[in-house]
Amino acid sequence: MRRRDFLATPLLLPTLLAAEESVAYPPVTPGRRLRFPRDHGAHPDFRTEWWYVTGALDAPQADIGFQLTFFRRRTGFAETLRSPLAARQILFAHAALTLPGDRLRHTERVARANLGASFSSTDCDVAIGAWRLWREMRGPREILRLRMQSASFSYDFTLTPSQPPMLQGDDGYSRKGAAPELASYYVSWPRLRVDGLLLRDGRRQAVAGQAWFDHEWSTAILGDRAVGWDWLGINLTDGGALMVFRLRDAQGATLYAHAAWRDATGRRRRFDSAEIRFTPLRRWASPRSGASYPLELEIHLADLTVRTRPVIDDQELVTSRPAPVVYWEGLVKLSGGLEGRGYLELTGYADTLRL
Amino acid sequence: MNTLAWWLIRAQFRTRRVATSLSMLAIALGVALGYAIHLINAAALADFSRAMNSVQGEPDAVIVGRDSAGSVPLTVVEAIARDPAVQSVVPVIDTRVRLAGAPAPLRLIGLDVFSAATMMPKLMPRQDATATDAPIFAGGVFASPAVLRQLNAAIGDTVTLQRGDRQWTTRLAGDLPALGPDERLLVADIAWVQAHFGPDDAVGEARVRLTPDTDPAAWRDELARRLPPGLLLRAADDENARVSNLSLAYRVNLNVLALVALLTGAFLVFATQLTAVAQRSTQFALLGVLGLSPRRRLLQVLLEGLAIGVPGALLGLALGYALALAFTRLLGGDLGGGFFSTGTTTLVPAPLPALGFLALGALASLAGAVYPAYLNRRQALAHALHAGFAQTPRARPARPLVPALRLLALALLAGGLSRLPAWSGLPLAGYAAIAVLLVIGIAAAPWLTRWIFGLCAGLPLPATQRIALQNVAQAPLMAQVAAGGLIVSFALTASMVIMVGSFRVAVDRWLDDVLPAPLYLRSKATPLPEDLLAALARPDTPFARVEGMAHATLTLDPRRPNVTLIVRELDRLDPAARLPFTGPLSVPPDETLPVVWISEPLREIYGIAPGQTLRLPLLGGSVEVFVGGVWRDYSRQFGAVTIGADDYRRLGGRFQANDLALWPRPGQNAAAETWLAPYARRDGLEVAETAEIRQLSLAIFDKSFAVTYALEAAAMLIGLFGLAVTLAAGVWLRARELATLGALGFNRRMLGRAVTLEGALIAIIGLLIGLACGVAIGAVLTHVVNPQAFHWRMPLHIPWPTVLGAAALTLAAAIAASHAAARQATRLPLAQVLAGSQ
Amino acid sequence: MLNVTGLAKRHANAGRPLFSGLELTVAAGETVALVGESGVGKSTLLNCIAGLETADAGSIRIGPRAVDIVGLDETARAALRARQIGFVFQAFHILPTLTVAQNIAVPLLLRGVPLKAQPARIDALLDAVGLRGFAGRWPTTLSGGELQRVAIARALVHRPSLILADEPTGNLDPRTADEVLTRLLDNVRQQQAGALIVTHSQQVARRCHRILTLTPDGLR
Repeated sequence: MRRRDFLATPLLLPTLLAAEESVAYPPVTPGRRLRFPRDHGAHPDFRTEWWYVTGALDAPQADIGFQLTFFRRRTGFAETLRSPLAARQILFAHAALTLPGDRLRHTERVARANLGASFSSTDCDVAIGAWRLWREMRGPREILRLRMQSASFSYDFTLTPSQPPMLQGDDGYSRKGAAPELASYYVSWPRLRVDGLLLRDGRRQAVAGQAWFDHEWSTAILGDRAVGWDWLGINLTDGGALMVFRLRDAQGATLYAHAAWRDATGRRRRFDSAEIRFTPLRRWASPRSGASYPLELEIHLADLTVRTRPVIDDQELVTSRPAPVVYWEGLVKLSGGLEGRGYLELTGYADTLRL
Repeated sequence: MNTLAWWLIRAQFRTRRVATSLSMLAIALGVALGYAIHLINAAALADFSRAMNSVQGEPDAVIVGRDSAGSVPLTVVEAIARDPAVQSVVPVIDTRVRLAGAPAPLRLIGLDVFSAATMMPKLMPRQDATATDAPIFAGGVFASPAVLRQLNAAIGDTVTLQRGDRQWTTRLAGDLPALGPDERLLVADIAWVQAHFGPDDAVGEARVRLTPDTDPAAWRDELARRLPPGLLLRAADDENARVSNLSLAYRVNLNVLALVALLTGAFLVFATQLTAVAQRSTQFALLGVLGLSPRRRLLQVLLEGLAIGVPGALLGLALGYALALAFTRLLGGDLGGGFFSTGTTTLVPAPLPALGFLALGALASLAGAVYPAYLNRRQALAHALHAGFAQTPRARPARPLVPALRLLALALLAGGLSRLPAWSGLPLAGYAAIAVLLVIGIAAAPWLTRWIFGLCAGLPLPATQRIALQNVAQAPLMAQVAAGGLIVSFALTASMVIMVGSFRVAVDRWLDDVLPAPLYLRSKATPLPEDLLAALARPDTPFARVEGMAHATLTLDPRRPNVTLIVRELDRLDPAARLPFTGPLSVPPDETLPVVWISEPLREIYGIAPGQTLRLPLLGGSVEVFVGGVWRDYSRQFGAVTIGADDYRRLGGRFQANDLALWPRPGQNAAAETWLAPYARRDGLEVAETAEIRQLSLAIFDKSFAVTYALEAAAMLIGLFGLAVTLAAGVWLRARELATLGALGFNRRMLGRAVTLEGALIAIIGLLIGLACGVAIGAVLTHVVNPQAFHWRMPLHIPWPTVLGAAALTLAAAIAASHAAARQATRLPLAQVLAGSQ
Repeated sequence: MLNVTGLAKRHANAGRPLFSGLELTVAAGETVALVGESGVGKSTLLNCIAGLETADAGSIRIGPRAVDIVGLDETARAALRARQIGFVFQAFHILPTLTVAQNIAVPLLLRGVPLKAQPARIDALLDAVGLRGFAGRWPTTLSGGELQRVAIARALVHRPSLILADEPTGNLDPRTADEVLTRLLDNVRQQQAGALIVTHSQQVARRCHRILTLTPDGLR
């Protein structure tokens, strides 16, 4: 016998335990019309779902990065068990704070629905204990609220949209591979104004900055050959927004890529796999995991060329619950054809996505 | 100078082997007992809290139903989870299930692995990767290694768990590798446990860990105000207090016994050193003349005391460790008290307590040496050099009224002390009263001696007897020392015999009352199987009458051990048919008001009086009940409440019997047991006849007092040694006088007889006073210490044959000891003594 | 070595003066015999000089520094005895639980002489009293004369300036008494100590340098 993990990591969830499951997860299909605020809420029938807020602060200090993510996972187990506690739906949350000149601080929570965790299927409202991400109306405006606390840092932010949400892919149907079933529903909400309070080291400070909200749900994202992905979500200095992702195979070659650019006027431009090319400029080796991350990337989007540069190198996350996962996710600055600031996510570098 | 001290100590050990080694042994015994009790208790507590910790972790707060049948609603768990001050909430369902092949019910813990991982890592299950990839929340149970061994089961086997009429058939999905070899429990996902065994929409308890910047006490206070009345908020400290409270009184009593042994050890050192000083007064005087300073003469005697005490205490530590080892093997970690049942106990001797006990032993020997050292310091050198030891003459009180008044004042003090209440749960005033009684006994000795021998002096007696009488009457210090040892040891022994005897008689009678039925059926803490109950309800059974009883626990005070709730099928109008009441019964003013009958300990601990109403945390709420009476209970030290099954059902409770009292039809006893046997075998139920239970109960009683009996014997022996040593000392002290008598024509036999008679007279006085003190102390133990420490009362019952037999035996031993001392007297080199060179 | 002036002492119980205005000097190397009838106070005088009893008046100066023992407290008297006075008793007073050498070593130990520095001195004394080879013997195996010679060795071992002897030959037969006395007087002279010897024996008294008689009227 060997010690088994109860669950795989949230990032690796899609391929976990596929063989045993008898439960029928709905497929992600094109042509479904997303309606809001309903589709800001949870879609518990699907296998996985996440609500992802990343952002950069300029007050109390320039280039503070923060991140709060809630993952929902339908386990496929105990589906018929007559108990409100049945572990059919499990939620994980990760929160991180990047302070320039410091290293990344990170904390996490996990719980099952009805036992510490909860989510709404009608609107954005997901919580684990006192950590919570929800949408509410403030007068005529809709806002997102964000709250978490931990021993090393806590925050309570209000995110005020300045633009409408951005439906990725084909009206929210976002393909993740050549096969049509490899896809997700994906809604981004860039350019959210951040204000609220940040508590760290016993100091309570007012903040100002800009954030990016992603909400994505799916049943299958990673194809068989994929070992990880690179993802980039940037609020551009000129009022626009840029999202790029690619899925990599074991050799580091791109399996599938996609990018979307919305400029300040709302005009959108999409790039498909053939138009996108990633070139590592500088790698950083983590002293903890030994993984080598291409932190400075040159990304060619057809005629556009942009380059990433991290605020600090060490924004590697080592999560322990529910199982150890190592990846890099941090605040970067974008320069070149487009300029701005946002989050870069690099997964599958420490451990190939071995299962 | 140190060399000289060392030479003298060595000489002392060489020439007085018996006396010094006896003193050393006495000190060793005291230290050994105290240390053994400490070791065993520390180990048992550590075991207990280790077991608690692996199951419970170290939460900042525990939210739990006050009633063991109660539960924490999910809404409450959710609300607490959302509190920003809460880092995590760990819900748990802790229940007992039966498992085919397991002789006793097993503890099944329903866990949420997500929250429990950090707080209770030891309960984390390990899954068999070859059998399945399904995680714990897909179902299945996980067994501790001890359970796997016991069931002789393999991972992957199918098992059926049963509780009352509910059952769950599932797979043995893995083990619990972090649990110790004695921990017997099952773990499963909380949802599966809840779905099969309840509670519905609730969990058994919620353990809370707070964020580091939260003040736990303030948070608990705030939450406690908002919690529904049926729920209880407990702090982790409460748990420790409960655990420690559990055996506190028992432990303190045993420690007092150890202290008695130590005190007798100190007394023996006193006797030894006094003799040593007396015997060597000429030597010490010589050293003084040669220039040994007075301070060093004082120190030398103290040093010699330490030279007895330190090796004695070291020996005691080793002995104590061995004793603890033996006791934990034989009686388990609770010294026979029956409080913990954690299997084998590991002793962990820590250096600090060991040093403490070492110091205690040294201190006792030092205390014993203080007065002899003082006497030695005060000897007039020139006189001692020529004439030997001189007792410091005491001013005799002119009127006997003064000491009589003094004794009366002490008696009043003892009486007053015995009326004081317990101090933080301990009968300290009672112990003080016992100490005062002993002081009275010792102080009365010379007074009584003079009085009795004054009366005897008028009688026409032969010379031998007359001399013996005179000696006893005239040498008050030595007589007092010799008698004092006997008084103390015999009084303590007699009092213990009286207390234990009273208790045993009371328990014996009580067992008659609480076991009315001829046959009992017991299922350990799980409801009896439904089909058995259904079968018993049929008319063709060999039983004339069946009464059910269910046990649960209630928390009235989170810092005290739980109170037992007994739900019983009995007649609300005639509870006295089943319960041994201590006083009159009260009838509730209102027919609809539920009635409870409380046990004596409950009344003593919580100060509840019969006839009053009471709010009990029953069935998840707070229920007003009427206290109908107080019944005697010697088995549940922390209190019990009995409620009728009908009242319990009326309150909305579900009565599921754990135990049955069975009355077979006349002449069908054998048939009854045969009828029950298949059920008992199948479900691991216990069937016992009343006689068996009685026998077992009394055996447990005797076992739990085993330590006491051993100590009594030790105290008696020490007292006798003390007598022998002091008598021998007396002979040395009066060597010159005896020699003169010899020179005047007393032959050795006459001298020997005089000394023997003297010892017998002292022993008689000591035993008389000791007996009187023993009865008084026995009464204090029975009527003050027992109710205060254990919260139960019993009538005083003096087992005269035992007490008088012990007295006779002691007297015989004392005479033998005097005889030995007398032989020493006859061996005195009379001519040398008279010539003044010793 | 000893200088007594104006010494007065009353009876402990009766309060009647035992003696008063006593004057007495013992020079270095001098041996003085003190004789007198029983009950006249010889032992009390000796006890006063040793500091075992306290004089009512007068001074007793002992040793080369002439320390007055009358004015000292108990501890200081014990210390003065340990340094300056050697004792010989009628009843020998040899500690039965110590060997001969250990008995002789006691005064050295009381003076704080380390154990390592003692054997030579003890051997010299054993030689001087004619007990060579007796060092490891137990007192119970010795005769009275031998015991008293051990006592003489013990009295002299720490080089006291004053020897107080109370009937040193009282328990010995005449021949042994003579030998023991010779040893005592020889050694006292050799060490240049002073000696005050209380005795009833004219033989003993005659062998001393001076004889003083204590009477109810004083010293003569």
